[in-house]
Amino acid sequence: MQFPKKFDVIVVGGGHAGTEAALASARSGCETLLLTHSLETLGQMSCNPSIGGIGKGHLVKEIDAMGGVMALAADAAGIQFRILNSRKGPAVRATRAQADRVLYRQYIRHALENQPRLTLFQQPVDDLIVHAGQVRGVVTQMGLRFEAPSVVLTAGTFLSGLMHVGLEQNPGGRAGDPPAVALAHKLRELSLPAGRLKTGTPPRLDGRTIDYEKMGVQPGDEPVPVFSFIGNADQHPKQVPCWITHTTEKTHDIIRAGLDRSPLFTGVIEGVGPRYCPSIEDKIHRFSDKASHQIFLEPEGLSTHEIYPNGISTSLPFDVQWALVRSIPGLEQAHILRPGYAIEYDYYDPRALKASLETKAIGGLFFAGQINGTTGYEEAAAQGLLAGINAARHSHGLEAWWPKRDEAYLGVLVDDLVTRGVTEPYRMFTSRAEYRLQLREDNADLRLTEQGRKLGLVSDERWHAFENKREKVEMEIQRLRSTWLRAGQVSVPEALRVFGQPLERDHSLLELLRRPHTRYADLMSLSGTPPDESLAPDAADQVEVQVKYEGYIARQQEEVARHRDQEHLLIPDNMDYARVRGLSREVEQLLTRHRPQTVGQASRIAGVTPAAVALLLVHLRRSTAPILQEPRSA
Amino acid sequence: MANADVIAAIATAPGQAGVGVIRVSGPSLQDFASRIAGGGGAPRPRHARHSRFVDGQGEVIDEGLLIYFQGPASFTGEDVVELQGHGSDAALRLLLARCLELGARLAQPGEFTLRAFFNHKIDLAQAEAVADLIAAESTAAVRSALRSLTGQFSRQVHALVERLVELRLRIEGCIDFADEAVDFLEQTDIRATLTGLRDAVDRLTGSAAQGLLLRSGCRTVLIGAPNVGKSSLLNAITEEDHALVTDIPGTTRDLIRASVFIEGVPYHMVDTAGIRETADVIEQAGIERTWQAVEQADLALVVADIRNGLTEGDRQLLSRLPQDMPREVVYNKADLASADQRARAGTVVSAVSGEGIPELKRHLLQMAGWNPGTEPVFLARERHRAALSQARFHLETALEVADSFELLAEELRLAQNALSDITGEFSSDDLLGEIFSRFCIGK
Ligand SMILES: Cc1cc2nc3c(=O)[nH]c(=O)nc-3n(C[C@H](O)[C@H](O)[C@H](O)COP(=O)(O)OP(=O)(O)OC[C@H]3O[C@@H](n4cnc5c(N)ncnc54)[C@H](O)[C@@H]3O)c2cc1C
Ligand SMILES: Nc1nc2c(ncn2[C@@H]2O[C@H](COP(=O)(O)OP(=O)(O)O)[C@@H](O)[C@H]2O)c(=O)[nH]1
Ligand SMILES: [Mg+2]
Repeated sequence: MQFPKKFDVIVVGGGHAGTEAALASARSGCETLLLTHSLETLGQMSCNPSIGGIGKGHLVKEIDAMGGVMALAADAAGIQFRILNSRKGPAVRATRAQADRVLYRQYIRHALENQPRLTLFQQPVDDLIVHAGQVRGVVTQMGLRFEAPSVVLTAGTFLSGLMHVGLEQNPGGRAGDPPAVALAHKLRELSLPAGRLKTGTPPRLDGRTIDYEKMGVQPGDEPVPVFSFIGNADQHPKQVPCWITHTTEKTHDIIRAGLDRSPLFTGVIEGVGPRYCPSIEDKIHRFSDKASHQIFLEPEGLSTHEIYPNGISTSLPFDVQWALVRSIPGLEQAHILRPGYAIEYDYYDPRALKASLETKAIGGLFFAGQINGTTGYEEAAAQGLLAGINAARHSHGLEAWWPKRDEAYLGVLVDDLVTRGVTEPYRMFTSRAEYRLQLREDNADLRLTEQGRKLGLVSDERWHAFENKREKVEMEIQRLRSTWLRAGQVSVPEALRVFGQPLERDHSLLELLRRPHTRYADLMSLSGTPPDESLAPDAADQVEVQVKYEGYIARQQEEVARHRDQEHLLIPDNMDYARVRGLSREVEQLLTRHRPQTVGQASRIAGVTPAAVALLLVHLRRSTAPILQEPRSA
Repeated sequence: MANADVIAAIATAPGQAGVGVIRVSGPSLQDFASRIAGGGGAPRPRHARHSRFVDGQGEVIDEGLLIYFQGPASFTGEDVVELQGHGSDAALRLLLARCLELGARLAQPGEFTLRAFFNHKIDLAQAEAVADLIAAESTAAVRSALRSLTGQFSRQVHALVERLVELRLRIEGCIDFADEAVDFLEQTDIRATLTGLRDAVDRLTGSAAQGLLLRSGCRTVLIGAPNVGKSSLLNAITEEDHALVTDIPGTTRDLIRASVFIEGVPYHMVDTAGIRETADVIEQAGIERTWQAVEQADLALVVADIRNGLTEGDRQLLSRLPQDMPREVVYNKADLASADQRARAGTVVSAVSGEGIPELKRHLLQMAGWNPGTEPVFLARERHRAALSQARFHLETALEVADSFELLAEELRLAQNALSDITGEFSSDDLLGEIFSRFCIGK
């Protein structure tokens, strides 16, 4: 049957990528359909119950700045919040929350159900309708046909998913869910470049069987951090601590004795797993001299006793899992509620995508999330947002939009994916961002909310809050610049307290705040310095960071500007690399395969030498008048 | 490089005795080789074959060795043929003409190197070193060019980068994996490491500066009052008659340039119009040009007549020199001086008798910072030196901000970026790869 209603955008998959994609598309004005296996698993966290972390928290804030839902859901579901790297500087500071799985899902589902222009439908998608290189819609398991000019595929770990426990294998998208096999076959027919990746998860424990007396406690931060720019701590549910224990020599012996039945070590698993998220058997094998590994016990929620033991992801047989868990201090009597497992799944080489996340081969078909070779909820959600935006724009015949590396972690993410591809599941780290100092959590809104507003994603409420904050920050910096502190105005003890030294001459407040050890709050504690109306904490933080980092940011801006020409020089779609004089065959083939959109992207492809970039530049400058990419207009 | 044509050139310097070499490069030269050798079948790669080189009529032009290198195992990555003849200019020209007749065209300067570069036989640094090798005018420069070509400079920069990466991976590990129970620093003394790195950059900069000196030489300007013997001194130092010497003050009105190698270091000497108050317009113009020459110079020799000592005019002159310019007052006409006058003077020479000239030359080397034998010398480019100085700046700043990890990390990133200008890119993926292989990451 042909479904009677036509859509602008169809999103397949209701995970983190799919939900952000559907919301972004609907918010920006498109009739949107979200098709997923089960409405019960909308917003399901497949693995650990936490959102954020270093690099990932940055992504969450960016999604939030552009009107996404992830940060709001984390605020509504977060049962323990921490700020990581709080002493290493504002740019690498990151928020992380333990989330109640049930509350998280509820929040997401509520957001989806109440989003105008968004239709939900539960059915597995088995087929894509493709005509003349353009996607036209999808066909579900029961033969329902849905039509739309844009389709976003976010099938996560489900494509030909195969789960391993010991040497046993079962097809599945994740524990308890069926895999997407028909769709995977269909995609393989489209001859998009595909591969296999692997990831794993630990066994879950029954909290009533855990002896917490033997463990260290890890409380959340006070005051409790907040994720969303428009959120507040009152939205958080009750806060609970996490617990810390560790493996023992006995644990390691048990694991070593079980390696002959490990799918990882016997070569049963072929997919590549992430190096930064190895299974416990991998860690013990590779770092055999380490006597012990730390384990965090994270509550899965307020309404359950289920515990997630972070650090013992494993695909060893169940009897080994059982023994290894019980060799850990505090877990001697622990009951396993669900076994750990590894999963292998199809992913698609993201180098076959444009930076808009549209496939180069099939017009209107967008890929987002784990199927692009990434891992993590935040990475998936960020891509979902971007794919949703561009699927909507595509259906309206508008030009694609994407942020650049100096504008957002989302820009770094998408550029890394489409230009470099992946060799293992890709996770965000701050060291991936060369312009790290300006891509901070605290200024994600200043970087992106205005753009989000232009794209139609930002609600009035968020926009007004943002404009208000931005204005306050600007006015305060202005005031600091023009307000002077006279040397005689501050007593020596006061000066020592705030500046660590007496004030020898008059200074503007701005100059004083620029000093590395002078804090805004301390400065404002001197008489005659505070504004008439004191600033909200986030605005005050913003003022402080902006003033202190001005010099560094200016320098990074110069670096950005130096590369801008090359960065944005467009390469024609039909570029014939054989005609570029001097290019080696290898580089010619590489570029022909990758089809980078800009010279900047070309320069970041592994194997493309600076000399090759120079030759490319020469060729482009000679053969065509350089087309500089227009400053984005949306 | 697809469809490249055949290029040929005389590879040895003109006018040299002994062997003359013609080098030919192209996509496929087997046929070419057998034709220029008057038959004899296809040449064996990498074998020197004694041959008679013949013209179109089969007449012998020269006799010598033919060596055939089959691409890609050749200098340019294409087929290369080397013809070693007897080296008389006339014979070489005939041989070259024959090559052109056989379809080659005359190579542009540096075109062989360019092809080698395009075919990935050499990297950018090596390509530049080859160019230097070709241009090297002195023996010391040739030796240094060879060293750079074998990558000693690159090796030392790489070693430096390795140490930098070692520190970076610890700092980045602390930042990106703060929630892991891993001690990334493991007793690393950050400040000591930074100081060590900075000093290593300084040492490398020192050797690079030597190389730069070898390559571009030292511009030396001779100034002083008229008739003190500047032009004579120029002639004495260069051992040639470049400048017109008269006893009429104001003879030298224009700049006279001459180059001389002192222990292999090229000195580009500029003789100037003597400086004095004058009504002569031409002489005035000469004096103006003198000051322009001073501005462009690396160091200055202020020449004085030993019998007059340092005059008020000389003092004024000295004070007008750019502040940081190395300078030396040279007291000339020692042969005419009394013992008293000698005792009062510093550096004493006589352009006429040659007294003090060898010492003056040694002193010139010192002034230019030439310091042979201490460190390996690289034929560095100005851009290498600039990169090293950038790296140094960031290491120095890193020391200042070492308390803040994210600022420290930024300075280290920029320091490495600077060095990457010499060695090539290193990506954040590489850095993460290092971290994962060294430390047990992952909960
Ligand atoms: C076992 C396991 C371990 C993991 N370990 C980690 C980890 O340690 N660290 C980490 O950061 N991340 C981990 N992850 C990854 C994390 O869960 C994913 O990165 C994230 O959920 C990806 O989001 P997504 O939206 O791309 O896909 P998913 O969250 O997988 O969502 C896919 C959605 O698409 C639906 N779907 C699939 N195919 C179809 C179809 N044909 N028709 C209709 N609906 C369909 C599914 O039902 C599901 O709702 C793990 C995942 C698993 C399964
Ligand atoms: N005896 C003697 N005469 C010198 C010496 N150097 C220069 N002269 C003479 O001094 C006169 C001026 O020399 P010149 O080189 O033209 O001086 P300039 O004007 O400084 O360039 C000439 O007659 C030279 O022969 C020297 O060392 N000894
Ligand atoms: Mg003269």
